[in-house]
Amino acid sequence: MSEANTIKNAVCTFCGCVCDDIELVVAPDGKSITRAGNACELGRAWFLEHKVEDYPVALIDGQETSLEEAIEAAAEILVKAKFPAVYGLSDTTCEAQKEAVAIADFLNGNIDTTTSVCHGPSGMAFQGIGESTASLGEIKNRADFILYWGGNPVEAHPRHFERYSFKAEGKYLPQGRAARTVVVVDVRKTKSAQEADIFLQVKPGCDFEVLWALRALVRGRFVDASIEERTGISMEVLKDLVERMKACRFGVIFFGMGLSMTRGRHFNVAALLALATDLNQFTHFVANPVRGHGNVTGADNVVSWQTGYPFGVNFNRGYPRFNPGEFTTVDVLARGEADALLVVASDPAANFPRKAIEHLHRIPVITLDPKPTRTSQIAKVAFTVAPYGVSVGGTVYRMDNVALPLRPAIKSPYPSDEEILRRLKEKILELKGIKRQAA
Amino acid sequence: MTTLRIKNGKVYDPINGIDGQVCDICIQDGKIVAEVPEGSPCLDASGMVVMPGGVDMHCHIAGHKVNLARKFLPEDHRRDVQPRVGSLRSGVGGVVPSTFTTGYRYATLGYTTAMEAAIPPLGARHALEELNDTPVIDKGFYLLLANNVCLNQLLAQGRMEEFREAVAWWLNATKAYAIKLVNPGGDEPWKGRRNANVHDLDEPISGFENVTPRKIIRALIEVSNELGLPHPAHIHCNNLGHSGNYQTTLETMKTAGDLRAHITHIQFHSYGGERGKNPTSAARQIVEYIDAHPNISADVGQVMFGKATLMTADAPLTWLLRNITQDKWVNADTECESGCGILPFSYQERVYTHALQWAIGLELFLLAKDPWRMVLSTDHPNGGSFQNYPRLIRLLMDKKFRDEQAKKANPKAIAQTSLLDIDREFSLYEIAIVTRAGPARLLGLRDKGHLGVGADADITIYDEQEDKEAMFNAARYVLKGGEFFIRDYEFCQDGEGRIFHVSPDYDPKIEQVLKPFFEEYYTVQFENYPVSAHYLAHGVRVPTFRQ
Amino acid sequence: MRLSLHTAPEVPLETDCLCPDQLLGKSAKEIAKLLVFHGNQRAELGEFFHIQEGAQNGTVTVEGDLAKVKQVGAGMSDGKLRIVGNVGAHLGAEMRGGEIVVEGSAGDWVGREMRGGRITILGDAGHLVGSAVRGAAVGMTGGEIFILGSAKNEVGNGMRRGLIAIAGDSGDFTGVNLKAGTVVVLGNLGLRSGAGMVRGTILSTQPAELLPTFCYDTTYRPPIVRTLLLYLRRQGFTIEDVYINGPYRRFSGDAIELNKGEILLYAG
Repeated sequence: MSEANTIKNAVCTFCGCVCDDIELVVAPDGKSITRAGNACELGRAWFLEHKVEDYPVALIDGQETSLEEAIEAAAEILVKAKFPAVYGLSDTTCEAQKEAVAIADFLNGNIDTTTSVCHGPSGMAFQGIGESTASLGEIKNRADFILYWGGNPVEAHPRHFERYSFKAEGKYLPQGRAARTVVVVDVRKTKSAQEADIFLQVKPGCDFEVLWALRALVRGRFVDASIEERTGISMEVLKDLVERMKACRFGVIFFGMGLSMTRGRHFNVAALLALATDLNQFTHFVANPVRGHGNVTGADNVVSWQTGYPFGVNFNRGYPRFNPGEFTTVDVLARGEADALLVVASDPAANFPRKAIEHLHRIPVITLDPKPTRTSQIAKVAFTVAPYGVSVGGTVYRMDNVALPLRPAIKSPYPSDEEILRRLKEKILELKGIKRQAA
Repeated sequence: MTTLRIKNGKVYDPINGIDGQVCDICIQDGKIVAEVPEGSPCLDASGMVVMPGGVDMHCHIAGHKVNLARKFLPEDHRRDVQPRVGSLRSGVGGVVPSTFTTGYRYATLGYTTAMEAAIPPLGARHALEELNDTPVIDKGFYLLLANNVCLNQLLAQGRMEEFREAVAWWLNATKAYAIKLVNPGGDEPWKGRRNANVHDLDEPISGFENVTPRKIIRALIEVSNELGLPHPAHIHCNNLGHSGNYQTTLETMKTAGDLRAHITHIQFHSYGGERGKNPTSAARQIVEYIDAHPNISADVGQVMFGKATLMTADAPLTWLLRNITQDKWVNADTECESGCGILPFSYQERVYTHALQWAIGLELFLLAKDPWRMVLSTDHPNGGSFQNYPRLIRLLMDKKFRDEQAKKANPKAIAQTSLLDIDREFSLYEIAIVTRAGPARLLGLRDKGHLGVGADADITIYDEQEDKEAMFNAARYVLKGGEFFIRDYEFCQDGEGRIFHVSPDYDPKIEQVLKPFFEEYYTVQFENYPVSAHYLAHGVRVPTFRQ
Repeated sequence: MRLSLHTAPEVPLETDCLCPDQLLGKSAKEIAKLLVFHGNQRAELGEFFHIQEGAQNGTVTVEGDLAKVKQVGAGMSDGKLRIVGNVGAHLGAEMRGGEIVVEGSAGDWVGREMRGGRITILGDAGHLVGSAVRGAAVGMTGGEIFILGSAKNEVGNGMRRGLIAIAGDSGDFTGVNLKAGTVVVLGNLGLRSGAGMVRGTILSTQPAELLPTFCYDTTYRPPIVRTLLLYLRRQGFTIEDVYINGPYRRFSGDAIELNKGEILLYAG
């Protein structure tokens, strides 16, 4: 096998772990990847399933068309709209995300990312409480107490344990697993729970109450004896957990969508973040979200540095405003407010609530995706793009905000999201008569 | 060939000794030249003051910590919006503005260069991404190295040559401009010993035999010097904010011996009194030392009354203050490299400590004999936003205004200081030193901060006004690289600005030392760690003194 | 003065100018020219509303389905605004004085960061009545909000002073992070009422499950409850005598905070 066909240290964007040690072997014809060394089963599937296929580069009303015409049609839809919304962005590069924010800005439109349907509540909790957090290497090197709350990494982030958490050997924990206490809190005994030293099975919908009781115990405050009956966790178990948390040298709580998207949402996360902060009175303690999409963290970052806000941003009045519930995409669709939607690397028609999907059918939708999706099938204009990480280079952010460079392996005949969005932006500027004042 | 002559303006160009004389400034192709051809376009600057573009040598405007603070403060952004104007992007202001707004607002004040002061190496790529999105101004960043586990190990083992090579590698790998020290040695107790801290320069750091803050400080000062970096080690001393910390600051400066060192936001390190009790002013002791030691420079880190945001790699400090304010708080550790704390804050005139901090900053400016080595900063946004600079300039130039402000502040605090006894008022020439010429010289940016032949044509032109706050609030014209960005107070152009970085020579063999450490203790591949030129769309490599 | 909607907005319409402070004293012609935002378009109020000048009695009546109209009465300081129909988000946000009556239902953020005045909604209200904005700790700091229907989640989030009364049910996290002030819910409280409350009072006439950090103190008949409920009755709330006179169980909390807040639940 020739060296030229192997890409070392490639970056996997299937999930927020963004493992950057993948060895990709490219088929001799350069059209597919035959091996993804070091990758987990999800990552392997991600890399190996990408084949250079034969979709049209652009469709208008389901009819094949040229890129040029499709860009023009898309720009016209967006410029004509009074409430154009841009959505998605978590499975594309930061370079493309920047163009998408620019488009929303120049359109005086709305921009939102899939964060609003996964860890958006975590973002809101962060704004209310703050957070104590760490890059994942700190946890590998130092954390002797590790708790997972409302997530199942074994199935959703298979390499999380070995690369970033309790199965790794760390600088200050050369004994690795043996030196760490591992706790899982969930509503059911997941595969992840089976790996824990302690598993706490919480009654569904009671995460907040358990977290609140833990906070009170950490602070030495009153907790009503009814806690066991209501949550399924006894006072003794809670007290024991609190003592372990206070006694560790470096503690971490990882939390997933089991917390952020269940009843209580941002308050659940806020309670957890506040618990981690409270524990800093006793020891070093951090909390980290376990994020799903490969570059959802990049989307949060790009939208934040360009607009000041992480998601749910509206430019109708010529400047960014932020209000989850008001400017988040599910809500602007469900209330029938948006009158055009540009979707980048997401499939809202497949996973939004019914009312929002109904509105999708009433308005012109534009999609950018490597493959046909439920949304692209109802789109007025649909672009086929090259998949990021596999065929497109650029920047992605791991779930702990560490930025990494992609190492694409196979050439794609399709343009990147970035290229289409940039051309779309230029077309929009032209149609709106906005003159570049660039040097 | 684009040319321009600016005539009839009062020019303040301290590096070239020009103090308000009316003279012509000629520009050709982005640089200052001696003459331009007859018939070149002409700007009449009658009644105006012409200065080099401002240079902020210490601010926090990009990277993970700044972006966390942005996300953190939606309630602060919403009252201070930056609407989109034509192709100039929209954004939000407040204490921690969005990137576009940061660039535009610096330019509005007449600043054309600003240096982000604290980036952990692992965050370099992110910082560069944001700096690329910070328009108009030129910029660069300083690299946090004083709590680097790998470097501390080399230090503990006395492997000083490898230490130096590793530092050089790190500067190259991250495209940084200078070496930054923050609370040297303090991260290890913070992360590893239940949120403890170091307080004495000679206190051993757990886990590293024979390593003390003093050793780290000395080593990084020496390396900066040996590598010939254009800017010396940039030091945030230990014990920031603690009463009695001026002793630590003096010790830190003494550790430099006669080597160059820059002490940053020195106001926060100039407190007398006993630890845990109310501070007093030790501005005089600090100024005396600096006046007598030309190898030492400082920026003030002035505190301004009103909103601020503490954001620092000195995480234990923000935790301490958080327990007083009980406000929302962020801690963010970076593996093997750094800590970080963020806390919304408000400096209040009536509060003893805040008033004292305000007065000490002014004392430092006004008592220092050499303004070239005591330059202007608010440690944006720690002491207050950079948008306070016009007001700070007025405080320095206008004794009457200063005394009026002092009288509104906590009288006990003001009485602790010599502020009311100081009559000095800065001249425009001195303002040009502390906001332009001084920082440019300290940074080793030879083409910045002056208007001599060969300099970058970064020029600000203000309408001369009695009220210096109003005057410096908005430049009438701003040119960068010879191009107008602001004309008659309005933006007429957008642009990305350049990024300064250094790349000192190093022995590639050092990678054999670093790579195994990375494989063991980092979570990113050694090969994916260095930042490629892709992130330097407009990079400028500033040579070291040895290159 | 009377404004009636003649053209329904296609996308959200933001009308900060629909506020007696800005309307009274102006002619119909001037009012028709006031700036509104129709999605991302600048428009004039007259493109959506007929304006009928009337006696200058300080009252402005707005008619029509304003469900997509936001910011109505925002920043209002004086006069009376009567809305006949439903209304959209941010009704009376940052209101300082005067009175708003909605003869219909309102969207989210009713009386967000309100400082004074009174808002009465005859129908239902959405989420975040009288609350803080995201990131901020403090919500409503004065005034009264009366909702004769029900309200959704986070009623009074971060409230520091004032009175919110709801005839029907409230959603989850009623009175969350309450600094002080009073929230009365005559129907059922949602889950986790008073979470993080520091001071203040939450009262309900119905049974409720409280967080484990609330501690039962006593059962009593505090005179303030009688005074308060009689006052609400005068404002148009239907309240049976048993609740006005009846005993209440007092819980103190939130223990995580100062434990100086109280939740009063009818104990009849």
